Amino acid sequence: MDLAAKDIRRHVGKFVATIVGVGLLLTIVLVMNGIYQGNIADGVWLIDNTATDLWVVERGRGGPFNESSRIPGDSYKSIAATPGVERASPFIVYAAQREIGGANQQFTIIGYDVMGGLGGPGRIVRGRRIEAPHYEMVADERLGVRLHDAIALGSRTYKVVGITRAAVDSGGNPLVYLSLPDAQEVLYLQDNEAMRAARIANQRRLERTGLTPDQAAKLLPALAGSTDTINAVLVKLIPGTSPQQVRQHIQDWLYLNVYTTDEERDLMLEGRLKRMSAVLGLFRSLLVVVSIVIIALIIYVLTIEKIKSIATLKLIGAPNWVIVRMILEQSLVLTILAFVFAYGMVQVIKERFPRTLVFLPEETTLTFGVMLVGGLIASLMAIWHALRTPPSLALGG
Amino acid sequence: MAAAVEVAALSKIFGSGDLAVHALTDINFSVQEGELAALLGPSGSGKSTLLLCISLILEPTQGRIAINGKAIYDNGWTGLDVRRFRRENIGFIFQAHNLIPFLTAQDNIALSMQLNGVSTRESMRRTGELLRYLEIAHRGDSFPASLSGGEQQRVAIGRALANEPRLILADEPTAALDTDRGGKVMALLKRIARERRSAVITVTHDKRMIQGFDTVYQLNDGRLALAPTAEAAAV
Repeated sequence: MDLAAKDIRRHVGKFVATIVGVGLLLTIVLVMNGIYQGNIADGVWLIDNTATDLWVVERGRGGPFNESSRIPGDSYKSIAATPGVERASPFIVYAAQREIGGANQQFTIIGYDVMGGLGGPGRIVRGRRIEAPHYEMVADERLGVRLHDAIALGSRTYKVVGITRAAVDSGGNPLVYLSLPDAQEVLYLQDNEAMRAARIANQRRLERTGLTPDQAAKLLPALAGSTDTINAVLVKLIPGTSPQQVRQHIQDWLYLNVYTTDEERDLMLEGRLKRMSAVLGLFRSLLVVVSIVIIALIIYVLTIEKIKSIATLKLIGAPNWVIVRMILEQSLVLTILAFVFAYGMVQVIKERFPRTLVFLPEETTLTFGVMLVGGLIASLMAIWHALRTPPSLALGG
Repeated sequence: MAAAVEVAALSKIFGSGDLAVHALTDINFSVQEGELAALLGPSGSGKSTLLLCISLILEPTQGRIAINGKAIYDNGWTGLDVRRFRRENIGFIFQAHNLIPFLTAQDNIALSMQLNGVSTRESMRRTGELLRYLEIAHRGDSFPASLSGGEQQRVAIGRALANEPRLILADEPTAALDTDRGGKVMALLKRIARERRSAVITVTHDKRMIQGFDTVYQLNDGRLALAPTAEAAAV
């Protein structure tokens, strides 16, 4: 007779409530797995999607994603002339926060050479890529925009010509693609009031050096910062070319830093994602431990509730394995069904979750294995207590 | 008639030296197959200790206990042997019935048989017979919580009878019942002793319930004495 099954059937409401409770905890564990892998997938996707061989950034910098990098806008021409380089494209990337569709939204703008340059949008699900040099944009659907919408950024309005799906940065923010000059304009163009304030400040700085107001006014244009800067140059090599040779050439002659795509990916994983991974890993571990402790306590309480029955079973001659099996079975049923519940829950919320969730089968299996072993360990305390229970407890009132 | 249980020169001492408590002193008695024996005594007289010793739970300090002719201590048995012997030879009836709350009346009885290796099908057939014998066949699918005290005790008796033991130990079986229901349970135990040839030892402090017992023992301060007659003890 399967005592565990009989007990569960008799107290099905209590067991279902317990399974739902533990299952919700496990849902959080799985979601954290998904967020972690989602972050990696998002961050790495952006790098992989550019389909480039080398990333050229400001010397001594780890850009363009982990650290700011500013290089002259025309530097890509010198790089394109490097032996072994098939194509070199300017690239600009920066975070922005603007009001779009009535909500203040954070997103990442990517500017690229729309006339056949590298680094353009991927995962377009509606519409097309940017074809005009100005005032067109491709945006991710997470931004909440629709095809042909007119979106105001800075002093211009951009027409949405393409919609992407799951094109996000490593933080899960949607990507917005603009032509390079448009991206530069959105980044650098100030409104009239800001420009006036900057001009006054510069004039005062010059006057403090002893220049007359007229002399200072004449020098003001020389102080205006250049807006023709980019963050990186994306390089496509001629097939068969050694990336190391090209890298060495660019580093020696153009005084810029060069990363291969693998190195850029490592920079992303080791830099921006490392701390996040540590934090998520800590939370995941804590939640797994908390789940196992909760299962242990639940199984212990369920066993304590049955302690007189266990003593009676012992007195009427039930071998220990009957009692151990009952406790173990309940622990396993609780753990397995809670995991199944959690797995079902993440399937339901996956598409609605505000961040990209990626579930690796091996990681999910490992989590299941850890929980299963944890569930078995969790039942040890209850089994120990049950085996120590004297049959004499059944006697008396 | 063969002796279902024989107790000879049994003593049980808890602790040692100045702190030693003599729970049982030189107990001698035997109960035959089909005999109904009552063990009377006030609280603390040693009734439960004697019951635990006969149940193979508490090893005596001295003396010998034999059930169905087999010495149950000092015989090299393992824990598994003890439990097997207990489920094959002794039926227990408890003061608080002690039915497994998540099993139906039928399952409570069948469980004892299945623990003894009886197949599910056979155990269910025999359980049906027992439930009819105990006149609670209509309550077979009920859980203990929905049974009256008397019905619960009948199911508990059914469980005690499940493996057709030679010895039934009843610990205050009527303590949780009113006089009417208690009387019916006692009558049932007498009937079982007569019809099934089981030796029944009933521990009780309720003198009203011992009418018709074959033998009545009185325990006082760990010493056992045979009461002249059941009726006399009941006075």
